[in-house]
Formats: sequence, structure tokens, C-alpha cells
Amino acid sequence: MPDFADKLKPASPDGPSILAKERSQSDVPVDELAQHLLSRSDFLKRQEKILPVVSKDPLFNKTKQMNLSRPERYQLGLARAKKLRLLADQHGWDTKDQEMSQYLCDDVSPFMVHVSMWINTVREQGDDEQRRYWLPKIEAWEAIGCYAQTELGHGSNVRGIELQSRWDPKTKEFVLHSPTLTASKWWNGSMGRTGNHAIVIAQLLVPKSNESKELVNHGPHPFIVQIRDLKTHEPLDGIIVGDIGPKYGYAPMDNGYMLFDNFRIPHSAMLARYSKVDPNTSKYSKPANTAVVYGSLTFVRATIIMHARLIMARAVTNAVRYTSIRRQFSDRDSSDRSAPELSVLDYTTVQIRILPLLATAFALHYTGEAMHNLYEGTRAEIEKGDFGRLAVLHAQSSGLKSLCTELAANSIETCRRAMGGHGFMASSGMVQLNNDYLSKPTVEGDNHMITQQTASYLLKRMAAAVAGKGKPVDEVERDCREWLSKEHNRKMPTPKVLESDEEIVDAFRRRSRDQTYRAYVERDIKKRSWNSLLIQLRKISIAESQSILVKNFYDGVQSSTLSSPARKHLSTLFRLFALYTMDAEARDFAKAGAVSNDDLDELPFKIQELMAQVRPHAVSLVDSWKIPDFLLDSALGRYDGRVYEDLFNRAHRLNPLNEITFNPYYKNEEIIMGSGGGDVEKLLAKL
Amino acid sequence: MSEIPGWVKALKPSGPQGSELLEHERNKSNIDVDQLSTFLFTREGMERKKRILDILQKEKVFDKSQNYFAGRIDRFETALARAKRLSQLQDAHNWTQDDKMVANDLISEPGPYGLHEGMYLITLRDQGNAEQHEKFLKPAQAYRHIGCYAQTELGHGSNVRGLETTATWNPEDQTFTIHSPHLTASKWWIGSLGRTANHAVVMAQLIIGGKSMGPHPFVVQIRDLKTHQPLPNIYVGDIGPKFGYNTMDNGFLLFNHVKVPHISMLARFSSVDPKTNRYVRPASPSLVYGTLTWVRSTIVMQAGGVLARGVTIATRYAAVRRQFQDRDAPEWEQGENQVINYTTVQIRLLPLLATTFALHFTGKGMMALYAANQKKMSQSANSGDSKRGAGPEETHSGSDLLADLHATSCGLKSLASSTAVEGLEMCRRACGGHGYSSFSGIGPWYADYLPTATWEGDNYMLTQQVARYLLKSARTVLKGGEPTNDTTSILSYFLKRQDQGAAFDILGSDSDLVSAFAWRASFLTFEALRHRDEQKKAWNDLLVDFYRLSRAHAQYIVVKNFYETLQAPTSELSSETLAIMHKLFRLYALHTLESEASEFYTSAAVTVRQIQLARTNAVMNLLTEIRPHALRLVDAWDFPDWQLDSSLGRKDGKVYEDMFHRAAELNPLNRVTINPYPDSPILFQNNDSASLKSKL
Repeated sequence: MPDFADKLKPASPDGPSILAKERSQSDVPVDELAQHLLSRSDFLKRQEKILPVVSKDPLFNKTKQMNLSRPERYQLGLARAKKLRLLADQHGWDTKDQEMSQYLCDDVSPFMVHVSMWINTVREQGDDEQRRYWLPKIEAWEAIGCYAQTELGHGSNVRGIELQSRWDPKTKEFVLHSPTLTASKWWNGSMGRTGNHAIVIAQLLVPKSNESKELVNHGPHPFIVQIRDLKTHEPLDGIIVGDIGPKYGYAPMDNGYMLFDNFRIPHSAMLARYSKVDPNTSKYSKPANTAVVYGSLTFVRATIIMHARLIMARAVTNAVRYTSIRRQFSDRDSSDRSAPELSVLDYTTVQIRILPLLATAFALHYTGEAMHNLYEGTRAEIEKGDFGRLAVLHAQSSGLKSLCTELAANSIETCRRAMGGHGFMASSGMVQLNNDYLSKPTVEGDNHMITQQTASYLLKRMAAAVAGKGKPVDEVERDCREWLSKEHNRKMPTPKVLESDEEIVDAFRRRSRDQTYRAYVERDIKKRSWNSLLIQLRKISIAESQSILVKNFYDGVQSSTLSSPARKHLSTLFRLFALYTMDAEARDFAKAGAVSNDDLDELPFKIQELMAQVRPHAVSLVDSWKIPDFLLDSALGRYDGRVYEDLFNRAHRLNPLNEITFNPYYKNEEIIMGSGGGDVEKLLAKL
Repeated sequence: MSEIPGWVKALKPSGPQGSELLEHERNKSNIDVDQLSTFLFTREGMERKKRILDILQKEKVFDKSQNYFAGRIDRFETALARAKRLSQLQDAHNWTQDDKMVANDLISEPGPYGLHEGMYLITLRDQGNAEQHEKFLKPAQAYRHIGCYAQTELGHGSNVRGLETTATWNPEDQTFTIHSPHLTASKWWIGSLGRTANHAVVMAQLIIGGKSMGPHPFVVQIRDLKTHQPLPNIYVGDIGPKFGYNTMDNGFLLFNHVKVPHISMLARFSSVDPKTNRYVRPASPSLVYGTLTWVRSTIVMQAGGVLARGVTIATRYAAVRRQFQDRDAPEWEQGENQVINYTTVQIRLLPLLATTFALHFTGKGMMALYAANQKKMSQSANSGDSKRGAGPEETHSGSDLLADLHATSCGLKSLASSTAVEGLEMCRRACGGHGYSSFSGIGPWYADYLPTATWEGDNYMLTQQVARYLLKSARTVLKGGEPTNDTTSILSYFLKRQDQGAAFDILGSDSDLVSAFAWRASFLTFEALRHRDEQKKAWNDLLVDFYRLSRAHAQYIVVKNFYETLQAPTSELSSETLAIMHKLFRLYALHTLESEASEFYTSAAVTVRQIQLARTNAVMNLLTEIRPHALRLVDAWDFPDWQLDSSLGRKDGKVYEDMFHRAAELNPLNRVTINPYPDSPILFQNNDSASLKSKL
């Protein structure tokens, strides 16, 4: 319907001209940098290929979805997931293409676990016969699966789960049973409504011998279980399964609960690549290395870190573009009273919130790359039966996952708030992003809990280094020994972090070693209890992870073959990230003798100086992440800067609430104007 | 889906039951919960809450069980039905405004009448003259006029002076023309405007004879009183879904040369003389902003309670939830450890618990200060003090009580709401995976509270006003002015002592602890002054320093208020409870000091050794000492389960039973059987969710 609002324009200067000016003032080689950041697995090419297909399809139109109820959101998610699979068949998309379509669609898919944990677990933990039997069915989406590990009463601690799988030698079956309510599987994605199969993790109970009644608990093991009828999709007898209800985000995902009542499954259900029960003798044989059970968890963590950088880049893209356009208050030092209001990004209080995060997105990138390489390397070794590096990988992946997801989750909210009031609107593109991403700090291991794994590993290596017997088992222990003999005894000069990037890297390393050593003294020498040290242990995990981030960032920029403008900006971002992080943890660096007090005092000024260097290039730097408008789904962060037109359009023309006229007078029982009453009764029926 | 079978109904949570664990926790402490609640809320306040809760729980329309599942339109429609019913109940039971506020607190969702009651009525009352009270306030009180307060615009938030909507005086027919010249002039974010209101107080730039006189308030009818359709040349609607607050119809509003009569301009403080066409200057324009200062004071007061909800839920759940066996536990102690025993959990929750009390007492202090100030101002307004400049953005001489109140309210609002927002999210995350479920009760509550960090002044922008005030006060002190209020007193003390230094015994003396906070705030004030006045640094380059300064000052005010509350003769509290409250004070103060260690150290208020001792000994000891009382302390906040609407925070500890009940029995998605195969176009094979709704 045409109305007078159609002719109105935003007050000048308008968004497009502001962004054009920002872009023209910067020498950042956007396309070169984009290639540098997004080449792994042809990411950018893939994005260009898939985007037109997905964005043209009306089913993937995102503008009204935030108005829907939970069941409607699930229904929409299901429709989209099916459609994406059909598109994949039609266009011959490979797995990476499908992941890209999922990423651009940006709605959590009810099949997410099916295409990740479910298939990966079968692939990695099934024996050859199991793989032959299951993988074709899984790839055809006939056996639709999920991964049921956590329970109502048990999260990160796999050993604490209660579901039992008892081997019955007579029938040669396993009996799955939930002895308590807290044994209910809980949170398991794709299980509530979608999956017809599940990998179920249960405590394996095996009789001492075929005749014995005494059961031995061999700990948690994975079983493949059909949970729903393949025709009617109703749960099988003896299984209760359903969706756990609405969450902070993840609306289209049917996280589920599941209980078993003495439910029998055949011998072939136990994934038998590493450990098995002999069907005739009932003898249990152990896996070569127990840590291998966590292999797929480690893979998921590596992927999470790669994903985190794109999430941050997205949040920062929205924030940088909008705060460049948004104006508020005139410069207090300007003598011209009629001067236009300042761009919000010119305020240092806004810069200090956004620009270090921009730098952090790059920092995560280089560690993501390095982690990826390390995972690929380790995986090949595991395939060969060599588990040696798994300890390093596992320890690093948990600490890094914790730090990186926390950084990314917090960055969304920090950016959203820096965007002022409009950041609260769904059309800012920050709301669903925040809601969906916030699960990450707890999914796959609570961030506070899993840092213990990293800390525990570091403490062991430090203890071994102090003992100093034989050859060091890995590079961390080797470095601990080095540190003990040199820096620990203050034999080396204090790094000059304001002068040399290399010495920044060294300062982070020294501070991490120092933190580990102090914790080692508390634990191993003073014999303090583990629980009383948890806060300190978390800190050593963070210190080590930050040190890895800084080192990878430095190495990544050094070893790149980029043009000199690109390197110049990346070096500035490196310093901003490193010094900003250092400033926040200044006391630790001082204590470790890793930075001089004079340098620490100087940090806030140096950071402000670095921000001033980044500021004119901020728009181009976020452009280089090439996040398409379709993915941003943000009126505030759109590439062309037509912020206010889009905000208004979404509110005015794309808002279903405005299609209803309500009756606001409280003495009148009508809720909807002209309904003639009875509205409250209809509502009550829904409550 | 079939009925829940018997074998499921018979299942219990494993190990010690939640109810047993909480009972055990409560037995560890001898705090008199009822006595502490009374101290916080008064006997009268607690009885009021109980009386109103009884009434609300009996009304089916307030049933909360489907809130977490519904879509935007259903949520809004239900919210409107609730708002109407609440007004009917108010009539039926003769509720006062306080009663209704308690009811709103218990219902805990923003409602479509929120801005009518919270801003429209108050603005008419405070800024209208007698004639306007007759014409506008009376029908508004009868809910024939339903109003809102339309200030912010699409392109303009905190800066009122930047508003684009114009109100041009027409001498020929003695009317104003309200007009939106640009798209960015659209009113935006205005609560109760989108679908509900038929009137609005519109803030617009007043233009007389081509000259702009700044923003002024106009009462404008925007919808027909019968059909509720927008009037001609008015474009109004809801702005769409948001992070939270989806039960509220925040709206947009555009005017296309709309004429309103002379009486529309609220004229208590400024007006246009219809005979001479002259602008009559405000008597005391600062009073105009009294409403905003009042709103900020209530935000500080509420922040304690807002945070306490999250802390209550997280603390109770941390006592029920068990994870991992204690690594050092002796063999005979079987089973997983209660999460609340982990020091990483304690260090997140217990300082927040202390913060809830700190904010509550500070809010109380602020409200008292506000009342005293209002009294004083209404006296001076009568005596015709007309020399003040306009607006909250400019404060006055350092000794002015208004300036002190205004600056304090800005700084505290910023600190209190940021602390509550961040604290809630920390509580949610401390709940682990289940914190992400809507049934935790924290997520939705957080989402509804979030905008408080932005509205009534963005938390970062506001801190500039505090800094400006502190700098002015410091200049007064430097010139040798006598201290006339607390701010100038602490600045003077610092100035006298700065060369001798201070030796505060922060670990031994509570009053020294307060003084250390005063010292650090004073130090930062003079540092900022040096940067600005001596080094002539640009205002913009100092914003981060100003933010830190404001935060330091607000933390000092909080520490001071907490301390003074406990110093006042408190025969109402037993000596055991008082001792715990002192520990909470110390935990809040020392934990804050430790998190801001470098500022305290640089200002020479404390030594590095003291900070180290605070961190490794004092704070850790306080955690251990407060830990046994945590449950009773959150109980004292006296939240009914109905208000919390949380599985994890249930008072009886039946966490897992409730999670399961909500998921399995209240969840409409489980009445749907789907078709999961991509080649089938069928999505939902059958959908009994409607039948579930009708059953409940």
C-alpha cells in the first residue's frame, strides 16, 4: 500500500555515501586479503557458487522467521533441511558444498547431527562390516541419526552417565536400560523429532563369565540403536523419546530426551572398531588407547574454532559498518555548534569495544588454520595406529575451544551493545546470531570444566620437565625445560614488547610457562587440593591458549606472501590483539618478569595509537571477510549502507503484527478490534 | 504422542534427591531468612506480595506454562489480554499503583500498557498545567486515552538535541504543525506505540518564526478512539521482533504535516504565548528532566533484584547439580561433587550474590536522596530560580545537590545495569548446558532486561556526564572552594593527602576499604583533569578514561552505601546475620578491588602485596565462609517459584522432575509426528498440538 512514508529519505549524509567515503580512504587490498583468509577448501569460490542458488529460493527468505512460534520454527527448519538435501542432489553438491549451503542458510538444521557427529562416529568407530552396512543408508538419509551422550543429570563428565547396556550372554543381546530419571538422555540434537536412529553412549556391563551373575562395568561405550519406526516414525516400544522444549536459541533444532525400558539390541549394535565383547566367550577386549573414544569430540572442537572466527567476523562486520554510519552528538572540542554529529566509530569508547575484536577475528583465523593442520596430521597418525600426539592435540583443543568460543560469544554481545538501541532489534542480525551461538561455550564440554584438561596436561609436562629424566616426550615439555633453565632463573633480558613483535610472542610464552610453574608449585610441592586450585588452573589454560593464538598470528603473517599494504595492516592488527590482551592481563606479565613495568604503563596509550591506525581501514578490513548480505541478514550491517531504509522497510512492510488491529480498552473483552469478543477464551485454550 | 507410560512416571533422579540436597544446604546455616527478607523488603512489602500473588495465581490468563513456546503474535495477544485483566483486577481490588507494580513484577513480562502507566501518565502529571490535566490526564487515568512517550527516533537515540521531528507554530490559526522531514525522523522504539496507544507525548523541535527553540513535548492523538485506526497523515506501527521484550509493541511513528491545537504543548515549564507568539522561557528546565533522573534511580534499585533472580536460580541449581568426582575426595566419599563446591563456580556466583545486596542498598539510598532533592527543588522552583541552563547534559556548580544527584544517577545506572546484565549471563553460563534451555528461566529474563543497558541513556555515553561533573567539582576544589557535598569532600581530602600518600588497611578495616575506593576515584578524577586541562587532550581521546573514572566513582558509591547500611543501627538483624552481611560487604569490595587491581595500585591506595593477599587469602577465605549460607541468602530474596518460572531454580530442588515434566508434557512439539525423509514433501504427519493446548 503506498503511503507518504514511501517518499521520505534518511537525513544526510546517508549510509551509502558514508561507506563509499570510508572505502575510498583505505588502501586495504580487500580481494587479496579475502583470498588469503578464505581459500582453504575453496571457501570463497564455493560461497560464490552456492549463494545464488540458496538466496533465490523463497523458502530461505529470513525476514519474518523471528515472529514464528517454536513448533513453526522447527517445521520451517525441517522444510529447509529437506530442500537443501534435494538441491544438493540436483546440483551434485559435495559435502563441503552442503556445509556451505547450511552456513549461508544460517538456520540450525534438524539434520545437523546427522551430517556431523552421527556419520563421523560410525565412520571412525564402526568396524569394517558396520561401516559397510551403515554408511550407505546414512548417506542416503534413510538411517537418520543423532548422538546421544549427555544426560539430564550428566553433562561434560562422560564417566558419570547412568544409562546401562548390559550384555546378556544367553540371547547374545545388549539390554539398554535407564535406571533413573536423571539417566534420561538430554540435549541430544536431531533426536527429539527427527532421528530414527541414534548412537547411544551407555555404561557397558558384562558378566564376569557366561555363567556368572556378577557384572563388571567397562565404562561408557557407543551403540547404534534404531529408535523410531521407519514407516510411521513413531518411537519403538520400550523407548520414550521427545523434544526437550524451547531454548535460548537453536529453535529449529529438536534437541531431545530419551529413556529406555529394558530395550534389547543385537550384538552388532556395539561399535566395534576399538573395543568389543566376544559374542561366544563374553570376553571384553580393550581399545589400544582409551583416548581414542574422544577422537570425534576433538574433531568437533577443531571445527568449532574455525567457525568461531567467521562468527566474530560477522558480528564485527555489522558493528563496524553501522557505527561508521550512525552519528551521535557533535564533537565537544569543535567550535562549530552546527557541526554534524560524530560518527559513532570515532568515539574511542566505541573503538575500544569493537576494534580489538576485529583484530581477534584475524587472530582466531591463524590458530584455526594451524589447528586444522595439526588435526589432519594427527588423524593420519591415528589411522596408522600412532596415538602419541593425541595428548597434545586434545589438551590444546580443549583450552583453545574454551577461549575461542568464549571470545566469539562475548564479541557478539559486545558488538550488539556497541550498536546502541537498534542492536536489540531482530533486524540488526545480531539477535539470532547471539541466541544460536551462545550454546557454544557449553556444548561439547563446558568451557570452565574442559580447561582442566589443558591445565592438567600442562602441569604433567611441567612436572616431568622439573624431574628432567630422559628425553622430553613432546615439544611442550621440551620448552618447559628450556624455560626452567633460562627465563625462570631470569637469565634472559626482559622482552621489549613495544619494539619487537617477536618479543611480544616471547612475552606471552614466558608468562604462560610462569603461570604453569606457579600452579605446579601449589599442586605438586605445597600439595594444595585440586578444587582449591581450579581458578588458577583455568588461568593457566587461558594463558597457554593466548600464547598459542599470539604465536600463530605472528607466524601466519610472517610466513605469508602478501603484498606490503596487506602485511602492514595485519601487523597492526597483530599488535592490537596482542597488546590489548596483554593489557587486560598486565599483572600476570609483570609477575612473570615478561614485560617491564614501564612498558605495561605505556600499553593503554599504545593501544589507542594502534586503534587510530586501524580506524580508517575498519570498513575495508571487515569487507575482506566477504560475509554476504544474505548471511548477515542485517539492516544495520548491509554492504550498501542503506540502514534506515531497510530498518523501516522491515518494520513497516514485513511485520505481521501490523496486519492486526487490536482493541486496547481494558473494560472491553475484545482483544482484536471488531472480533465481537471470545478472543480471551481462544487464548485461554492455548495456555 | 502417547501418554507418559507408567515405567517413566516411576523413575526418580539418581543419587541424593534435589530436595534433600537443598534441605541439607539450608541446615548448614543459621541465618533467619524471614528476618533478612523483612530487612530488605519490610513486612508490609512481603505481605503485599503474598496477597497479590494469591490473586494472580488463580487467574488462568496469567498461566505461564506456554510462554516459552509461543510465537510473537500469540505472545503479544496474550500480553494484551493480561494487561486488560490486570486493570480489571486493579479496579475490583482497589489496588494502589504500588500494588500494581508488584503484580507486574510477579508476572515478569513487559506489557502493552507499560509505557502508558510508566511514562505517559507521569509526563502529563509532571509537565502539564491544570487545563491540560483536565483535558488529557483525566481520560488517560480512565484508560480512554492510552498513551506512550515518543522521544527517540530511527536516527537518534540518547542525544535529544539531535531529534528531527518538528513542531512549527502557526500564528494565523494558533496551531502547531507536527512533521517528519526525513525517514530518520521516524519515532522508533516507542513502547506501547506500535499497536496499543491512541495518544502519544511527542518530543519535537519547536519552531517559532523560523527559529528552533529545542525539543519540547506535545500531546498528539494518533488513533481513532472508536476504530483504533491511525488518523489521517499519521503512519504508525510495530517495529518488529527483538532480542527480548516481544510482548511489548515498540513502535514507529511518522507525521505528514499534522496540525494540533495550542493546548497540545505541555506547558508547565515552557509555552508559546498565543497572543504575542513569543516563547515563554522555562522556569526551571532542570525539573523537566526530573522524570529521567527518577527512572534512573529506579533502575539502580531494580538491578539488585534483577540480578538476584539469576543468582537464586544458579545457586540453587549449583547445589543440586553434581559433576565429576572430587579429585582429592577420599575413597569413602562416593558420587559426583556438588557443583557449588567447585571454587571456579563459587568465584562466579558468590561475588554476584554479594552484589545483589550491594545494589539493593545503594538503590534504597538513591531513592531517599531523590525524594529529598525533589522536596528541595519544588521549594526553589517556587522562588523562581531562572538562571539555570537547560538539560541534563550540562551540570552546574560543583556544590549543587541536583548536579550531584544527576551525576550519581548516571554513573550508578550505568554500573548497576551493566553489572546486572553481565551477572545474569554469567549465572546462565554457570548453569552449564541446562542454562541454555528456556526452562532455566534465566535466558528469557536476561533478554527482557537487556535493553536497560541502552535505554535512558546508553551506559557508555552516560559516563561522560559523570566525568564532566567530577572534573567541574575538581576544579572547584583546586580553586580552594569549601567542600559542600560528599564528592567535593573526598576530592579535598585526596588533594590534602596526596603528597603524604595513604596507608589504608583494606584487609583489617572496613572503613579503610571504603576510603580506598574514595581515594582511587579521586586519583582518577585529578588524572583526567590533568589530561584535559594541562595536557589539553581532546575530549574524544579521553572517553575511555572517563568511562573508567565513572565506573570507579560509582563503585565507590556502592561500597559506601553498602557499608553505611550495615553501620546504621540494625537491631532488625541478628548478630549472626549481620556478621554474614559484613562478609558479603567485604567480598563485594575486595573482589571489585582485585578485579580493578591496577587502578588501586597506580593510585597508591594499596600495595601490590595487599592486592595479592586480597586475592589469594581474603577473597578465597570469604568464599569458604559464605558458601554454607549461600542457599539461605538467596532464599531471603523471597522469589516465589511462580515468579521465577524456572526448573533449575525451584525452591524445593525438584530440578530434574520439573525439566522432564515441561519437556515431555507441556511441550507442543512432542504432539507432532514428522516425516524426516527429504524426498517426501510431507513435514508434519499429524499434529495434535492444538489438542494439547485445549487440554491444559
